[in-house]
Amino acid sequence: MFKWTKKEKRIMTFSVMIAALLATSQTVYAMHIMEGYLSAAYCIAWGAVSIPFLVAGVISIRHTVQKKRRALILLAMAGAYIFVLSSLKIPSVTGSCSHMTGTGLSAILFGPMATSVLGIIVLLFQAILLAHGGLTTLGANTFSMAIAGPIFSFLLYKAGIKFKLNRKVNVFIAVALGDLFTYCVTSMQLAMAYPSESGGVAASALKFLAVFAPTQVPLAVIEGILTVIIVMGMESFAAPELKEVGFIKEGN
Amino acid sequence: MIITAILTMLVIWCLFYGAVPGVALVCLCLVMGGFLAVVGRHKHEGFLVIDIIAQRSQLNKINSPLKFWTVLILLFLCIASRSVVVGLVLMAVMLFLTVAVGGLELHDYLSLLSLPVSFVLISALALLVDYGSSPFGVINLPVSQGYLVVSQAAQLRTALVLSKALGALSCLYLLSLSTPMPEIISVLRKAHVPDIVIELMYLIYRYTFVLFEMYRSMKDAAKSRLGFVNFSTSVKTTGKIYTNLLARSYQKSMNNFDAMESRCYIGEIRFLENKKELSRLHAIVAASLVVIISGLTITLH
Repeated sequence: MFKWTKKEKRIMTFSVMIAALLATSQTVYAMHIMEGYLSAAYCIAWGAVSIPFLVAGVISIRHTVQKKRRALILLAMAGAYIFVLSSLKIPSVTGSCSHMTGTGLSAILFGPMATSVLGIIVLLFQAILLAHGGLTTLGANTFSMAIAGPIFSFLLYKAGIKFKLNRKVNVFIAVALGDLFTYCVTSMQLAMAYPSESGGVAASALKFLAVFAPTQVPLAVIEGILTVIIVMGMESFAAPELKEVGFIKEGN
Repeated sequence: MIITAILTMLVIWCLFYGAVPGVALVCLCLVMGGFLAVVGRHKHEGFLVIDIIAQRSQLNKINSPLKFWTVLILLFLCIASRSVVVGLVLMAVMLFLTVAVGGLELHDYLSLLSLPVSFVLISALALLVDYGSSPFGVINLPVSQGYLVVSQAAQLRTALVLSKALGALSCLYLLSLSTPMPEIISVLRKAHVPDIVIELMYLIYRYTFVLFEMYRSMKDAAKSRLGFVNFSTSVKTTGKIYTNLLARSYQKSMNNFDAMESRCYIGEIRFLENKKELSRLHAIVAASLVVIISGLTITLH
């Protein structure tokens, strides 16, 4: 065992600080698990967990489309909208380039069932066209970003309506907390795959939460604000369209 | 890009600390960091750069089911492996295939890799560093009552995870930099993914370009009217652009539906698929690659 000199310690602290500072000002996507990051067992397990939700989603979409053929086109446009949104830069404070998730908005507009299917397609496109996420980790990412997060957002949104919360506050809370929930689920998934030597899964989850907090927390807040503006804007000058969009949700 | 370089240096430093003598370690860090900083400059110009590269790639001529399934098998072999070697071999092979055979510039390849790699590195930092009450590692940094520890076991584990992630990423890149989306969708259709999902995928892919074109003109219009002059204005502008995009995309999709219905759309769309012959040489190369990698995966620990 060697002793650190004061200078060495200072250098190390400085370098950690630089890393923390700089890590916040780079490309920030919502938190996908990268290709190759999970072992085969976890890839298959998370994929299996996602299957029932996807099956339910496909069945619900099929029913909606049989009733109203326009729905397919509308859903496709919605999927493209979410994908484009997630590939665009949004303004951010630190000068980094952040990207929205868009799944919270989708859950509010189209409901969690349709979002799960649109979500897995968008995640596949992100993996192949934007190199974000991956094919082997598709199951895990689908669970955290297309199932858990949207369902959480949707429940919060419904609860907010029930308790007659202010619309703006309600949308903001649903989307921002949904994003944070996604980030927690992803951290848990990573922690379960790589538990810490000294503290097990819980300690490892804390580590992942800490490492990604500087990028994910501001992202959730900005996404919440943007979604509020989008939903408000839709209500003020696209009310008939919004009503029409609502039928997808009724089909579920 | 400089950030990725610094992160790389930090992670390499923690990773090999104690295993490689000090001077060599510093050199290694500087070489890797400098290399990334100079070669792979991250650009943000075109939309869906990967799609354009895939259309141009020399590897685009190869039968797409062959590419897709080979890459998928290699991916699973890579993540199932328990040795650093498999990931590194795959990285080298994929680099060769994409750059030398596919005709992509090395600089472009590295700059495309740098984006996911920075994410992989941040996660690697979380894997490396542990917080404990006793200094049991190679690097121990006292913080308040405990220590930030990098242990040897953590180093080994992180090296394995990193190599697997990089190997898998290179495999994914081979596929995505040589196979346009419609062909991947047609492979999925043959693999019996539900028709409705396939139709959705085709349509989403096409609408993506329509929407992006719309977005670009709206953004230019807003920009020329000082819509992004400061942070709060740009948040407002972005929100409005997205609203408008959603409303316009809705109208567009309704027009699209009318157009389709007037062309006898009854709830099923089939797209034209280009057939690419399966060449014997390609099949042999793919098969031998799979055999070699699975051999490595099984034998090495």
